[in-house]
Formats: sequence, C-alpha cells, structure tokens
Amino acid sequence: MLKTAAQEQLLPGDTLQAKWEFAQQAGYDAIELRAKGDFHFASRIDELQQARKDGVVMPTVCVDMLHFFGAFDADLRRDAIAQMKSQLTVIAEIGGLGAQTPASYGMFSRRLPPFEPPRSEEEDREILLAGLSELGEHARREGVTLFLEPLNRYEDHMVNRLEQAADLIRATGLDSIRIGIDSYHMNIEESDPAAAIIAHADLIGHAQVSDSNRFQPGAGHLDWPAWLGALHTIGYDGHLAAECRLTGDPVEAVRSIPAFLQRSGA
Amino acid sequence: MKSLLDRPAPTAAADLTLRRGAARVLIDNWTGTSTVPSRTLYPHQWSWDSAFIAIGLRHLSVRRAQQELESLLAGQWADGRIPHIVFNPAVPYDAYFPSPDFWQSAHAGRPSGAPSAPQTSGLVQPPVHALAAWLVHAADPGESRRRGFLDRVHPRLAAWHDYLLTRRDLGGAGLAAVVHPWEPGMDNSPCWDRALERVEPAAPEEFHRADLDHGHPADRPTDLDYGRYVRLAADYREAGYDDRATRHRFTVEDPCFNALLAVSELALAAMARELGRTGAAHAERARDLSRRLVDRLWDDTAGIFRARDLATGAMVDERSISGLVPLILPHLPQDIVRRLHATLGSPHFKAPGTRLVPSYDLTGHAFDPQRYWRGPAWFNTAWLIHRGLRTHHLHADAERLREGFLTEAGRSRFAEYVDPVSGTARGARQFSWTAALTLDLLSTQPKEPTP
Repeated sequence: MLKTAAQEQLLPGDTLQAKWEFAQQAGYDAIELRAKGDFHFASRIDELQQARKDGVVMPTVCVDMLHFFGAFDADLRRDAIAQMKSQLTVIAEIGGLGAQTPASYGMFSRRLPPFEPPRSEEEDREILLAGLSELGEHARREGVTLFLEPLNRYEDHMVNRLEQAADLIRATGLDSIRIGIDSYHMNIEESDPAAAIIAHADLIGHAQVSDSNRFQPGAGHLDWPAWLGALHTIGYDGHLAAECRLTGDPVEAVRSIPAFLQRSGA
Repeated sequence: MKSLLDRPAPTAAADLTLRRGAARVLIDNWTGTSTVPSRTLYPHQWSWDSAFIAIGLRHLSVRRAQQELESLLAGQWADGRIPHIVFNPAVPYDAYFPSPDFWQSAHAGRPSGAPSAPQTSGLVQPPVHALAAWLVHAADPGESRRRGFLDRVHPRLAAWHDYLLTRRDLGGAGLAAVVHPWEPGMDNSPCWDRALERVEPAAPEEFHRADLDHGHPADRPTDLDYGRYVRLAADYREAGYDDRATRHRFTVEDPCFNALLAVSELALAAMARELGRTGAAHAERARDLSRRLVDRLWDDTAGIFRARDLATGAMVDERSISGLVPLILPHLPQDIVRRLHATLGSPHFKAPGTRLVPSYDLTGHAFDPQRYWRGPAWFNTAWLIHRGLRTHHLHADAERLREGFLTEAGRSRFAEYVDPVSGTARGARQFSWTAALTLDLLSTQPKEPTP
C-alpha cells in the first residue's frame, strides 16, 4: 500500500506534535512541511528537531513563497535559490528526503493576456537549467533531493508536463533532482496521466494529490484507480502528499483522504 | 519431492511483480477510449478481446473498463450486431488487413444498419460482452450506478443477443451460427477445415496480408486458407451483410460461441434484476441455450461438445477447446460435467509443455503446436476453463490451472499463446487479454457474485 502524508496547514492542532496525533488517527503516515520565505523554515529548526525527537515523520517540504528559481527578476531568482538551498539544508538536518518547488507560480501564463512572456523559451531554459544545477548540486551535497513540480498552464508557462521536467532534469545530469508529480496539474496537462507516470517512471521522486477541482481526493472526478495503479506499476515507494483545498467540514475532509485513497487502490 | 522442489514457491513478491507487469501492459496499450490487443500486431479494437480486457481492466480502473465496453458498443449496428473490429481512424489502412476499405461498413453495411462512423468489420466474435459488463459492474457497483453504466449497456447487449438468436439462427434450432472462421474467435482451427474446403479462395493478388509483417508465417494461417477467409468476407459484404440475403457458404454452430451466449444471457438476467426489472426471460433463454447445446452439440461417445456444420448437418469430427468451454455453464448436467472434466485430463488435452489447455486435440491428425488455434494454448480459453472448473466446484484443478496461467503469463511476458509441447511463448508479447486476465486471476475473489 502507498504511504500518505498531509501538508501541515491542513491538519488541526497548534503544534506539529498535535497535528501528528490527528494525522496518525486519520491514517496518515507522515506530514509534509511547508516552507515560507525569508528563511522562515530555517528559523523553525528547533521546533522541527523537537518534533522529530517526538516521533513526527516529516519526509518532505514544499515551498510556500510567491517567487521561484525561474523568476523573471534576477534578484527574486537569487533570493528564491538562496531560500531553496536553505530549505534543502533544513530538511536534510531533520532526516528528510527532499524539497519540492515549481519553476514559477502565478508569474505568467501563455493562456492569459498578454500571452507572450517577456523572456524567450531559450532564455527560460537557460535560467531553469542554471537554477536547477545550482539547487541540484546543493541537494546532492546535503544528501537530499530537489523535486521539480510541473504546474498547469494557468499557473506557470515553463514546466507544465512531466516530459518537460524530465528533459530539464536529464540535461542537468544530476541524480539529486527528480520530478514531483501532482495529480491535479497532471489532470489538466497530460493526455493520459497513467501513461505519463509509466513513461517517466525512472525520474518520479515525489507525488502530491488533490482532485480534479483542487479539493481533497474524492471530491472531484479523477480516475484515481488508474493513477494510483500506474504508481504501483512503477514501484513508487514515496508518499502521496495531500496538497489541496478542502470542501465540506475541513476536519472531516482531511480525515477522509487516507481511507479514500486506500479504497481507490493506494 | 523432487517436483515440489523444482517448482518455485509462489511468493507475494512474485505476485506483485506480475501485477505491476500486467498493469503496465494495460496502461501501455490503452488508446484513450479502448485498448489495442497488441501494439505490434493488432492496432484497432477487437470485440472479444475488449470483453476479456475489460474483465481485467476493472481491477486497474473501473472507469476505463466501462469505457472499453462502451467504445466497442459505439460501433454496434442497428441490427444489433457488435462488429468484430472497430477501426481506429488514426491508423493507416495498410497497418492491418482486411482494413476499412475492404469491409466498407458505412456503405455496404447500410442495409444492415452499420453506423456511418466508426468504420467496422461486418463479422462478429463470441458474445462474452454481457458477462464482462456484469463483472465490470460488480467490481464497483456504486461507480457503475453513479455513471448509469448498466442502464446504457443492458439494452444494447440485449439487442446484440437478439441479433444472434434471430438473424443468426441459421440452423433453425435455437443456436447461433457463425458464418466465417474469424467469428468463433479460433480462426484457423481444424474444426473449420472441411467446411472451408467448399469455399473457392480469393486470388492472392486480390489482397495483401498485413499479419505476416509482424507474425511468423509458421504460426499464421496458410495463404490458401487466407484466400478462403477473404472470399467469405467479400461475399458477405456484397450481400450487404444481410444474413437473410447472403447465401452463406460457411455456417457452423460452435459450442464455445453458444456457451458464452448462454452465460451472457445469465449476466443480462442479473443486470435486469439490478436495474429493478425482471430477468426471467434472459434466465429462461440461458436454460434453453444450455439444453440445446446438449441436444445438438454434445458427443456422448467422445465426451466433448462438437461443432455442427450446417451445410451437411453433421457434427465436425474434431476435438477442440471450443468443445470444453461449455463447462462454464452452471446448468450443465452433472454427468456431462464429469465427462468434460475427464476429457480435460485425458491425453487429448493434457499438454506436456504447459498447464494451459491446448486449442486442439494433442493426438489429433491436424495437431500443430505452433499454428494458430491448431494446437497452441491461449490464455483466454484457460480463463474460461478456470471459471468453468470453479463453477462446478472443481477447485483443486481450478487452482492448478490458475497457478499455471500466472506462471506462464509472467514467464512469457504476457504472450499471445504458448506452444503446448515445448512451452515456448509464441505470437505477440505484451498481449492485452493475457495481461488483463492475469490481473483478474491475481484478484479473483472466490465469493465474487456469478450472474
């Protein structure tokens, strides 16, 4: 059976320990952390170390900022890379596996006006490869993995599909970068999500789950058995981390996810 | 003791590897609305393949399994027939013969109600679809009800059976007849040899065989037989695929075909009950079909069902796996079950190289361990026999067959079929129904509701 995780902000409780108590009762195997900017994640190191001592399982962290390593602005790019390096260091220090980031989020969409980004595709690629190489080298030194997450076309204009992420990762030649897939974005971008998982099996390192409408798994119309079946087929042994909005009673919604995924073939 | 040691002990890890491999085949061979039997040899949608595929696909994705059957039903003709091939318009004509320009379904099939699109063949294959639809429903009744699956497919499947029991009752005895060796699904079986001899073959220059581009000639039908297949299909086409207007030169009552029709009638009865209607008429039909099968096709001397050649009225003097498949019928008299069980274990069908069941009598005059349906063992027929053994509580033999099936499916990379003497895998690999039925046997619930 595939393991499940919930992002920390979804879980009720004031402390990681309290959230973990709830998570375990609901059937989760782990908590996925969220990392704000301004080195906020690093400032939480004592809290995280204590949580680890108390048995909280925290394998992954997902970036929670508004600028990223693919930013148009050079200063924002530099800052995003510094933040991600710090996040990779912290997740390594608490015995985790890696940190997830998209190339960008909310910066530009080719599907919305003005349609043409200020930077060419060639320049995008150069910027992304430079950022990935720097972050990937850092991750390798820390013994963790950088997970590159393709987002749908309305949220990012550079990396939308698994094949694009795979192409960039191969170009860096680094084992310390893997694809962090997300069921919601894949539903929009991949013509056959299950086949895309099979096609890029060797590069998939992490998986986030939410349904077709971004709500918790079970609240939309994704073909979960096919998607989860494909993950089983490639021998995926990471977590399914719930990163979603919630509909209905929020506590019940979070509680419902592990059982739903299990019924759907996880 | 030695044989015990020789045999690898089944493990959970081996099952997991097999499950992953089978799921991978089904994901790879999925086209978006249905599954190709094989990426290399069969690039369109085949009728009974899709039914067997749906039976396994339901364990991977109930939604895909429903789509598999519904995309096939989208090719159904107004007279009720489900064509044996629904063509993918994106595939070039020369990828498979006979191609859409041979069948000309939209034009030549118009009198019989062929759809203007998709393009299809005009022949049929064994009616295992209702059984498949019922099993797909049973895999997740909630999802099935939510999507109105049975509401949509039941009337179409009932029309399909009506077609077979009216237009295709060519012997007038209440059994469905096949009009081409491709229809019973066992194309090149020696059972059809005598009936085929009466057919003038089409000239070799009239067609180009695409099956030899990927398949080995030693495995495939001969050119002479292929010419006869083409002639029969062309004659049917010229008569507008109208069963009343066609002077069929090949008409056979096949035991496997009719046994599957009976079992599928039971599935329709179960579906009707699920939909809050009475299933009595379907159940009655199933009993009638079982009775007629015994009356018309059971050979008590040989202990096997035989095909009946309607041109001569005589039973075909060949033993084939088709004659064992009626074991799947729950209404079969117990003495016939015992005889079939004995035949299954006799030198005619107990193969040295496989635990699957050979397609033709190992001691028969026409036995060939490699050529299509003249000896090789197929996985879909093994699945049917397995189901038959379970139906009649012959659990030890069922389990032996299941273990053999799973071992050989994995070892052969989900081959199309197996040489029953040497055990060598033959035909296409990553074959969809082999993978699908592997998933099904890995997931088999002993208490799964039977229709």
